[in-house]
Amino acid sequence: MTVLLEMKERLKLIYSKGEPFILPLAKFLLAFITFNTLNGRMGYMTQMDNVAVVLIGALTCSFLPTGAVVFFAALISLMHMYALSMEVALVGLGVYLVMYLLFFRFSPKDSLVVVVTPLLCVLKVPYVVPIAVGLVCGPMSVVSMICGVVVYYFYEAVIANASNIRTMGDDEALAKVQLMIESLIGNKAMVAVIVSFAVAVLVVYLIRRRSFDYSWTIAMIAGAMTEVVILLLADLLYDVNISVGGALLGSLLAIVIAKVVEFFRFCVDYSRTEKVQFEDDEYYYYVKAVPKMSVSMSTKTVKKINSQQARGAAGTRNGAPRQPARTSQPVRTTERGNGQGAASGRSVTTERAVSGRRGAEERSVNDRSMTAQRPLPGRGTGQERQMAGRGTTGRNPSGRGAQRPQGRSNVTIGRTVRQDTVENVMENASDDYEELY
Amino acid sequence: MLNEERVILMTRMAAYEKGEGRENVKIGNYFRSDYLAIQLLKAVVCAALVFVLVFGFYILYHFENFMEEIYDMDLIAFAQNVLIYFGATIVGYGVATYFACSWKYAQAKKSLKCYYHNLKKLNSLYNEMQ
Repeated sequence: MTVLLEMKERLKLIYSKGEPFILPLAKFLLAFITFNTLNGRMGYMTQMDNVAVVLIGALTCSFLPTGAVVFFAALISLMHMYALSMEVALVGLGVYLVMYLLFFRFSPKDSLVVVVTPLLCVLKVPYVVPIAVGLVCGPMSVVSMICGVVVYYFYEAVIANASNIRTMGDDEALAKVQLMIESLIGNKAMVAVIVSFAVAVLVVYLIRRRSFDYSWTIAMIAGAMTEVVILLLADLLYDVNISVGGALLGSLLAIVIAKVVEFFRFCVDYSRTEKVQFEDDEYYYYVKAVPKMSVSMSTKTVKKINSQQARGAAGTRNGAPRQPARTSQPVRTTERGNGQGAASGRSVTTERAVSGRRGAEERSVNDRSMTAQRPLPGRGTGQERQMAGRGTTGRNPSGRGAQRPQGRSNVTIGRTVRQDTVENVMENASDDYEELY
Repeated sequence: MLNEERVILMTRMAAYEKGEGRENVKIGNYFRSDYLAIQLLKAVVCAALVFVLVFGFYILYHFENFMEEIYDMDLIAFAQNVLIYFGATIVGYGVATYFACSWKYAQAKKSLKCYYHNLKKLNSLYNEMQ
């Protein structure tokens, strides 16, 4: 569990660092998969069934709101329907308009649900949708989910009737419209799935909002059972041809996926639940506090300890003579550029705990300690310059009382400072250093 | 001098204003009755459009029967039936919209109450500093 929690923290960290890139990438992938699936399943318009078109659409969606994926997907599907038959496209447009005007208006932010529901239905894991929606979203998301189910069954109807529609002539326009409407309103399986999914979402939502222990787990199991029971009942009563084994296996898979969702959204430790009771002038309070599971995540930080500082300080204390400033401007400029890295210190790898409140406290303590060890900007500049010079030449810069630093192998060697300027630089840096101390 | 509590509060409020708060602030600018009236008006227009659309598909679906019976049927009674269905659609959708928007308004107000509380707290923190 600790490993998983650490992994979660790492994922959170990665996401928070790379959010500006991860979110568009996720949108791009979602759009790409959706458009490709549409082209793969329908693909009646050959011009649309092109990777370049899909890529352009997906890239456009990557920097637009999620609703753009719905819009483009609807557009692509309408084009395919139009290529099949204009009447089919007309019915499709009508369905989309009804959904938009009547239902989608209530939950415009749930466009992700509208896209993901048909996609998961195509991937044969539709039972995940109501449980995930019940856990993550609110009851209004039922509307979006129903829209997604209707869209999926409408596409299925178009695909199933495509060969019939192709054989029909232009004079049978009315028959085509009637065929599409009939296949939509007479689809008992669709009605059964809508009812079972809607009830499951409400059951999951209502149970997971309760305050009893393991409410999320109970909610997802109850939701999965509700789905299966309603689907089986519909199968018995209306013969909607739903696979019992598929429903059971799908529900089990849905529970597994829902547990993953729970791990990321609601990871609490019920063993440390605290119940407190207190009162004020107006109320009695019965409070139940369940702590979130968290773990200290070890992060590696590289702390640079400038070995020259100690040596230089010792040298000053020992009464090292001050050097006159004999530096010209160009030399100073050159050295400043090279000394920025300040890589001529020893690299020490330390570990610090970063997690929650405790992590923050430790971090602040670490920061304080690090600040104490960190050289002051002015001082650091001088020291770094001096160190850089030494690293370049690989010999004692002044030869005036300064000792060769210990642990020489850790000092970075190989800077590209011109040999003729190094001496001047070192003297200048040394001078700065002396002034500061 | 940075005040950690103030920075946290401001960050939280900025995130709220940028996210769900934007919609809630819009809703909160209305009185409840005004907000519901506007939403109901929109709902009536939407429901009317949907009814026309669905009625069109209904006619297309039963086109042959409709054409066969059009000379025998009582057109006034048919129109009355259509109007009743139209009214039922409008009223039904309007009632659903009323409840949904009332709930949404209540949620937005609750959320904004918390936001304004934070705003007051921020103000008091500034006053303490001065």
